[in-house]
Amino acid sequence: MHHALLRRFGALLASAAIAALTGCASVKLPAPTASAPTVEKLRAANLAPAAAGSFAVAPGQPAELDRSLSGLRGSSVTAASGSFSQQLKDELVAALKASGLYDEKAPIVIEGLLTDSKVDAGASTGTGRLAARFAVTRGGKRVFDKELAVDAQWESSFVGAIAIPAAINQYGALYKALVAKLVDDPAFRAALAR
Amino acid sequence: MTSFPTWAQRARRGLVLLAAAALTGCANFYVDGNTREVPSSELQRREPVHPVQVLFEFQTKGVANANATSLLKARVLEQVKSSGLFSEVGEAPVAGGALLGITLNNVPLTDDAFSKGFVTGLTFGLAGSQVSDGYVCTARYTPAAGAPAIVSQARHAIHTTLGSGAAPASAVKAKNIDEAVTIMTRQVVSNVLNGVSRDANFK
Repeated sequence: MHHALLRRFGALLASAAIAALTGCASVKLPAPTASAPTVEKLRAANLAPAAAGSFAVAPGQPAELDRSLSGLRGSSVTAASGSFSQQLKDELVAALKASGLYDEKAPIVIEGLLTDSKVDAGASTGTGRLAARFAVTRGGKRVFDKELAVDAQWESSFVGAIAIPAAINQYGALYKALVAKLVDDPAFRAALAR
Repeated sequence: MTSFPTWAQRARRGLVLLAAAALTGCANFYVDGNTREVPSSELQRREPVHPVQVLFEFQTKGVANANATSLLKARVLEQVKSSGLFSEVGEAPVAGGALLGITLNNVPLTDDAFSKGFVTGLTFGLAGSQVSDGYVCTARYTPAAGAPAIVSQARHAIHTTLGSGAAPASAVKAKNIDEAVTIMTRQVVSNVLNGVSRDANFK
């Protein structure tokens, strides 16, 4: 275990060095994991278990929105499971499962449509945005329908080897932030109330 | 207010040092000597012990860092397990609803951080070819859903030097960055576990 960890940190450093020299990389987002603050809120909210239904790119949006990102100076990011809308679904499912609130057969179903996904590893300031329209149906009746968005801004760098990993990390963190924003929404909580 | 140019200059210097370390192996890594590991024998166990759900997150300047989280998570969970504070340790919800959230936040040690007292008690030196990374570890334990949380926090640092410069005072040299991160994580996590275990409401 110890040596495996050491090898992985070595690989990480080597990747950073290579990125510093070549200026480009292709990175897959890690599989989502639950964050403790979101789980704590879900557990305290007295919600009923829910299932996650269809997650896809919103109608009228280009299909590339679900699979590729520009703004990374030639580097690229792909979702852990193929599409960014699926990444969002997996993030939500991870939070629900860790809270004991995920049930594939529940009559409450949460769905999502990806409406925005972008990142810019600017020379001085980095920016990122992720947005989705969430819907909750309860026994077939729609009880929640709202678009939510999260934005990030951070100090970037002219040096790509600093700016690109920071932008990828900030973009990846937007998925947790968007799920947290959904969980914080009073209307969403009302839709899932026991 | 943090001076961005100063921060950026240090960030670049840190990257150069890390890249140099990866390519040449000539960088030296030191674990700050002021945060020592608390042996599991010194933790305050309460009988009967209960199962706990543990969620770990590594952050970079307060933002979740999924890659670093996946690298360290198994080790942190194993450390909680071997602490003996809980009967079972896992990532899934447990009977009784106990939840332990552990975050390890990597923050740059700048003059601003110094002025705010972050490094109080830690070795701090950014002169010459040395950069330092600060780590704030926070454990938040809720014995049951909706119960008041017990919060424990500890701080640590890793210092990196290039070449044959003087070693930071009271810091312990690690073989490489991997060992430095491993030691730092173990020591700082042991301190927050100790803090949780000594809270009067811990059960």
